Amino acid sequence: MRILRLIAACLLCASLALPGHAQTANSSDSSEYLIKAGFTYNFAKLMQWPASTFPQPDSPIVIGILGTDPFGNTLDTVLAGKKVNARSFVVKHLKWGTDIKGCNILYVSTSEAAHLDEIFRMVKGLPILTIGQMPDFAKRGGIINFIIEDDKVRFEVNVEAAKQADINISSRLLTLAKIIPQTGSDGSKTP
Amino acid sequence: MTKHALKQTTAPPANGFWGRIAKRSRQCVEARLAELRPSVCLRVSDGAAEFTKRMLVTAFTAVFLATTLCAQSGPDGPDVTSMSVEDLMNLQVTSVSKRAQKVADAAAAVFVITQDDIEHSGARSIPEILRMVPGLEVARIDENKWAIASRGFNGRFDDKLLVLIDGRSVYTPLFSGVYWDVEDVPLEDIDRIEVIRGPGATLWGANAVNGVINIITKTAKATQGGFIKVEGGDTQLTADSARYGGEIGTKGSYRIYGKYFDWKPSTDMSNQQASDGWHQARGGFRSDWALSQADTLTVQGDVYSSRDGETITLPMLAAPYSSTFGNTGAYSGGNILGHWTHSSSNNSSFSLQGYFDRTNFSDNSLFVDHESVFDIDFQHDFHLGQANEIVWGAGYRSIQDRNLPSFTVAVTPNSAQYNQFSAFVQDEITLLDQRLRVTVGSKFEHNAFTGFEFEPNFRALGNISKNQSIWFAVSRAVRTPALTEEGLRLNDAVIPPGAPPFNSPLPVIEAIFGSNQFQSEDLIAYEVGYRVQATSSFSADIAAFYNNYTNLRTAEPGTPFVEGSPVPTDVVVPFVALNKMSGGTYGIEPYFDWKALSKWKLFGSYSYLRMKIHKNADSLDPTADLPNGENPEHQFYFRSALDLPWHIEQNLIVRYVDQLPSYAIGGYTSLDGGIHWKPKSNIEFSFDGENWLNHRHIEFIPDFINTQPTVVGRSFHGGITWSFGKRQ
Repeated sequence: MRILRLIAACLLCASLALPGHAQTANSSDSSEYLIKAGFTYNFAKLMQWPASTFPQPDSPIVIGILGTDPFGNTLDTVLAGKKVNARSFVVKHLKWGTDIKGCNILYVSTSEAAHLDEIFRMVKGLPILTIGQMPDFAKRGGIINFIIEDDKVRFEVNVEAAKQADINISSRLLTLAKIIPQTGSDGSKTP
Repeated sequence: MTKHALKQTTAPPANGFWGRIAKRSRQCVEARLAELRPSVCLRVSDGAAEFTKRMLVTAFTAVFLATTLCAQSGPDGPDVTSMSVEDLMNLQVTSVSKRAQKVADAAAAVFVITQDDIEHSGARSIPEILRMVPGLEVARIDENKWAIASRGFNGRFDDKLLVLIDGRSVYTPLFSGVYWDVEDVPLEDIDRIEVIRGPGATLWGANAVNGVINIITKTAKATQGGFIKVEGGDTQLTADSARYGGEIGTKGSYRIYGKYFDWKPSTDMSNQQASDGWHQARGGFRSDWALSQADTLTVQGDVYSSRDGETITLPMLAAPYSSTFGNTGAYSGGNILGHWTHSSSNNSSFSLQGYFDRTNFSDNSLFVDHESVFDIDFQHDFHLGQANEIVWGAGYRSIQDRNLPSFTVAVTPNSAQYNQFSAFVQDEITLLDQRLRVTVGSKFEHNAFTGFEFEPNFRALGNISKNQSIWFAVSRAVRTPALTEEGLRLNDAVIPPGAPPFNSPLPVIEAIFGSNQFQSEDLIAYEVGYRVQATSSFSADIAAFYNNYTNLRTAEPGTPFVEGSPVPTDVVVPFVALNKMSGGTYGIEPYFDWKALSKWKLFGSYSYLRMKIHKNADSLDPTADLPNGENPEHQFYFRSALDLPWHIEQNLIVRYVDQLPSYAIGGYTSLDGGIHWKPKSNIEFSFDGENWLNHRHIEFIPDFINTQPTVVGRSFHGGITWSFGKRQ
């Protein structure tokens, strides 16, 4: 038990001596969600929303995270102070039932898997970039779906869904994506 | 000879049931320990505390300075917003968040060991990896034998822990335990090990009483390219492995591997060389297929062959009535598994899995055994309404066992086939705006010995805030009888004619018998836990439990009888397996993960366990010891993993395991760790040491079979890994 106390003391020393470093620790985390935050930033850069979406040239891009937030505060930290053209980012945490229509990017957490069809119905025809990370997300009508392959982050794009949302995806992004044809479960979403 | 006489005259008590055998070995061990202690244990441990302290301070100061230096010199990690999509696609996901992800949603004491944790542990075998898990007791008996348990009842033949490798249950139906010397995978191929302490019976079924260990290997797609690894050290002469993975057309991928190792015998407590050397060759493959958008198929298999040894004391019917010798045995086997998953679009998926597993033990003077297990399982997941996620499944398992008895061990019938049927259903209900998740379910099982078993559980997880959750669970689990508990005869000891306590003119065999009266052991478990992700770099988890057991195994004396075969005629004093022990255990298991700096990761855990098991009033089991003193009350594990400049990584582990009073084994502290250097992305040099402080100790005294434990001393190993092809 003496050893326990000793280690506790060492840890305490470490935490006191290095407060500055400790706080910057997460910014160098190459965890899955840090990478996904990087992708999200790039998506915002490489997508074009219809001109009417933003009232002002410097209106922020609103990212809504619907359901259990898998990012922790990584997304907030990564995007803090960052701008695409003149637009900064606002990250909102949304619960099922709250209005999701004010978002430009809607990140659908896996906790909402049960509501997927409803979510797609709600955003139908709206210029909202839906992002998910579950099997079939893109196939069923989501625009971008993250997948992990070989321990690396990859993404699928449902081009048809993007078209319906009137969101223009740069061809550079499309060449890197896995293109997924839409085969909605009820068939109604496929034109 | 009457029962009464037996009760009064039976030699001093040993622990519980099968542990009677250990009684004798324990006496030997204690005697040997007494010789050894003045020379090794005591002297070392007197100075050890002081020395440990000094070493720790030095080590921590070193880590501390190094960290400060590298924090100042190194770049502070990737700025993902300045990276292109192509760059991001090339970043490898580290698994730090995987643990948090997995664990955060579970209303159970789950612990996930990632590949990263394995690399940082310097471990060479699965048991060594498991030492980091809070709530597990891991003790080395000799070079090739381990005692591993979750939340108490540790023993070489621990029967309350279920172990699965890629969904294949590897516990042996013979004693419901795990042959830790048989089960292995290339450690590099492990994706993660999920350890659930507490009952997992609803999903996994009988024998998932105190815990489930789920070893999950990477997909073939994740192991493309190849590597060759050559390792060696002072105890392990060589450990070599190689793997290659490639693609099959556009839809499939595969990997094949081979592995060989050879361990030198270690020394016993009187510094004599023991007979516990072993070597093993193993090979296998895995292939994964994306049959269509919705269907995936995995086919995998392994074959292995090994020879290992032990120093063992066995009874004999002729003078000197027991013999201690180096016993060696061979084992070999293989398995093949297929797993098919189909996901349909409406939030529903099903999977079908089947496997065949064969294990042969041969050329062993103790016991020869051939086991075959065939198992098929079906599982279906679907959403019902918005709140319910339902999983149900059914399974069939066929066990075939054929054994050749020796004088010491026999299992009747020596050739038999057993069937097991099971089904389960579980509903996870999401309530209160996602903040509460309630899980209810049960397993229903039918086995050949006790018939129908019912194992329900209730679990609830509440999210107090975005980054904090609490959970609690009440569950029932049973441990169904193993083949040995039904049909074993184990000749524990032979008392020479005329010797006390029996003073019989004939030699007396003390024997343990299985019984068809033996019932399942029962557990009702109450668990509670709390988790917090305090910052993105610090998370902590704490779990506490109270387990209430009934119908635990005892060895009840039976009526002595005379037998004429084998020659010479002898008297048998039987002890019969029955269920006359009960009681409670409780404990608490906190751990934390702290990324103190981008290049410095700390992990620590503590386990507290208290056992209050007692024999029922009607038990006549003459043995006095209970499982209570056979498990460490306190355990502590701390690890520091530090990335230094020039691609050097330094790991430091401090472990403390409390004393085992029943075995007169003192507590020990082990300082392990080493350096890994990756001069190029495809070459790695490693150097690791175990027990740097050289606190020579034994960790356990085996029950059931009188194998001599050997000493764990200081040891080192080094290796080179060369990767080639697409990527490691």
